[in-house]
Amino acid sequence: MTISEQVAPFVRAFRTAPGISDEPEWLCAHRDASIRHFAATGFPTRSAESWRFTDLRPLTASPILPAPDAVPNASERALADPPPSDPPPSELSVPTHRIILVNGRFIPRLSRIGALPPGVWLGSTADTVKARPGLIAAAFDASEIVGSQPFAALNAAFFADGFVLALEPGAVLETPIEVIHLGRTDTPVAFHLRNAIIAGSGSRATVIESTEGSGPGWTNAVTAITVDADASLRHIRIQNDGSEAIHTALTRATLARGARYENFALTLGARLSRQDIQVALSGEGASVALNGAYLLRGEQEATFAPHVDHQAPGCRTDEVLKGVMQDHAHGVFLGTIAVRPGADQTDARQLNRNLLLSPWAHVDTKPELEILADDVKCSHGATVGSLDEAALFYLQARGLDETTARHMLIEAFAADVIDTAALGDILSAPLRRHLRDWLGQVGGAA
Amino acid sequence: MSNLLEIHDLRARTLGGRDILKGINLTIAPGEVHAIMGPNGAGKSTLSSVLAGKPGYEVTGGSVLYQGRDLLALPADARAREGIFLAFQYPVEIPGVNNTYFLRAALNAGRRHRGEPELDAAQFLKAVKEKLKLLDISSDLLQRPVNVGFSGGEKKRNEIFQMAMLEPRLAVLDETDSGLDIDALRVVSNGVNRLRDPQRAIVMITHYQRLLDYIVPDHVHVLSDGRIVASGDKTLAATLEQTGYAHLDSAAA
Ligand SMILES: Nc1ncnc2c1ncn2[C@@H]1O[C@H](COP(=O)(O)OP(=O)(O)OP(=O)(O)O)[C@@H](O)[C@H]1O
Ligand SMILES: [Mg+2]
Repeated sequence: MTISEQVAPFVRAFRTAPGISDEPEWLCAHRDASIRHFAATGFPTRSAESWRFTDLRPLTASPILPAPDAVPNASERALADPPPSDPPPSELSVPTHRIILVNGRFIPRLSRIGALPPGVWLGSTADTVKARPGLIAAAFDASEIVGSQPFAALNAAFFADGFVLALEPGAVLETPIEVIHLGRTDTPVAFHLRNAIIAGSGSRATVIESTEGSGPGWTNAVTAITVDADASLRHIRIQNDGSEAIHTALTRATLARGARYENFALTLGARLSRQDIQVALSGEGASVALNGAYLLRGEQEATFAPHVDHQAPGCRTDEVLKGVMQDHAHGVFLGTIAVRPGADQTDARQLNRNLLLSPWAHVDTKPELEILADDVKCSHGATVGSLDEAALFYLQARGLDETTARHMLIEAFAADVIDTAALGDILSAPLRRHLRDWLGQVGGAA
Repeated sequence: MSNLLEIHDLRARTLGGRDILKGINLTIAPGEVHAIMGPNGAGKSTLSSVLAGKPGYEVTGGSVLYQGRDLLALPADARAREGIFLAFQYPVEIPGVNNTYFLRAALNAGRRHRGEPELDAAQFLKAVKEKLKLLDISSDLLQRPVNVGFSGGEKKRNEIFQMAMLEPRLAVLDETDSGLDIDALRVVSNGVNRLRDPQRAIVMITHYQRLLDYIVPDHVHVLSDGRIVASGDKTLAATLEQTGYAHLDSAAA
């Protein structure tokens, strides 16, 4: 298939989409430029180094166009598939400000944003475009189109909704924000979610996102984050899509002086998924923690591609990603830490550890450092192993059956990164629960 | 009284490898303490591994009856739940698995198997406290991952602590005395002596007479080149201290 054949259906869908009448002009222009960018590049191919290990055929074989109810300005139309009447259960045991999206659209009836402290904006992206267009503009970087990922370009062209959180300087949000996306479809359609988090200087917030659902939907999310001076943001992402789903997500965060960003990514679902996290440490003394785990089974393929750019001196990166793969699952880790000239006193570590539970499971791991500054402390490493037979026997020799013993070892391997992330009991609880649930479906023997 | 363990002409080798056990005969009654001595590489740990059901060994002949049943037909975890305990010569470090969590799971697996109610966290902690006193173990070892970063002596104590908690019918202690300082040897020996019971048998594999001064065995055996080449009472150990193993090898050959 040529690029023009590949992109034609997307361009056509864009041109025939309902009028984007009440969007700001700059946004219309941005969408237009984005679809043209995508039309020129098409989907990534395996000849590109960072896509070499990822088999995108499930996504590219036939065009997956936006869901009819998830295109810009579709909010007045009846939803093809009515959302559930009851809100999905919360991941957390404490009250939250909740945003529920179904098939790419904000559903006010299921959401409960609640009372927000002064200086905090939380709303759906569509509502924010209308009510606070300035916030959206701030979350769009014009340079994004140039050299942007094809998926980000498609997202810019088609996104209809998502969430926007904006904290004014000094605003502190103690109650976590919870965003749940349910993808429910019988046909292959795309949900392009556009999210933004803008944390003003000295502000603080916690966001826990989760995605789940059923059917062959493609969730394509782009989240733009800015963390201003001395602000602090915790961001948990649990990807628990259905087994036929496809999930691509790009998170781009820029950290100013003394800012702190903690990201935990748990990948459980989707047949094909890719998570790109790009962090720019642009102010002195900023720090980022990127932790997470991918737990894969069956024919699942998941790529985790974090990129941290140390642009300023005295910044810190702590990155630990753990993968557990069974059956025929395939994991990919492409981690880069770049240290620019002048970013002295950088302190960065990156570790990717993988546990293969079957002879057919496999992983490609490429942790990389690009260091162009002096006086830095950087380390990176990757391991691939199987369950420790001696440990397994030790547990069995004390009376634990093989399944219990295996689960204990797998859980120990994966839970370690939850401990490392040190998110506190409330935020760790759902991560541990998902890990246990996953183990409950893992067989005993290899 | 019927025997707890009857080993008849047991032969075993490593998978696809050479023969290590070349016809072991050993009978153990409840309440007895047996010591097995013998040169390095004789097959002592292999015997304990085969009894515990460790993968990697192949039994090529003979039989093992435990409480009158075919032990070799059971998988390792079932043997443990039936009351067989192996204190490892080299206890394994298991990162990420909390010592207490693991031990409670193991204890409750055995209790479920025997139809006894499981211990909840409070009951378990009470049992732990009693046994800790018995062995003079610092409770902070219990909050750590299994054996991770334990000193050699701490690992050995932890093995005996597990034995005290699990209350096995047949305990095989593989060189539990190696790596213990003099005080620790006394404490561990006292602990083992307190676990002596008319219902329980203990097999101690050791290189040193000194252990047998603390834990006085009913029988002493010498295992050499895959066979038991001499058996006697506790005085055999003292004799060996004088003569070494060499003359026994030639006697067996
Ligand atoms: N898994 C194995 N693979 C290969 N060889 C083995 C294996 N296990 C044991 N052996 C060999 O079998 C022989 C007996 O070993 P074993 O550990 O049983 O000796 P031991 O009597 O316990 O010695 P020590 O007193 O040194 O502990 C040794 O030569 C050892 O190398
Ligand atoms: Mg040995």
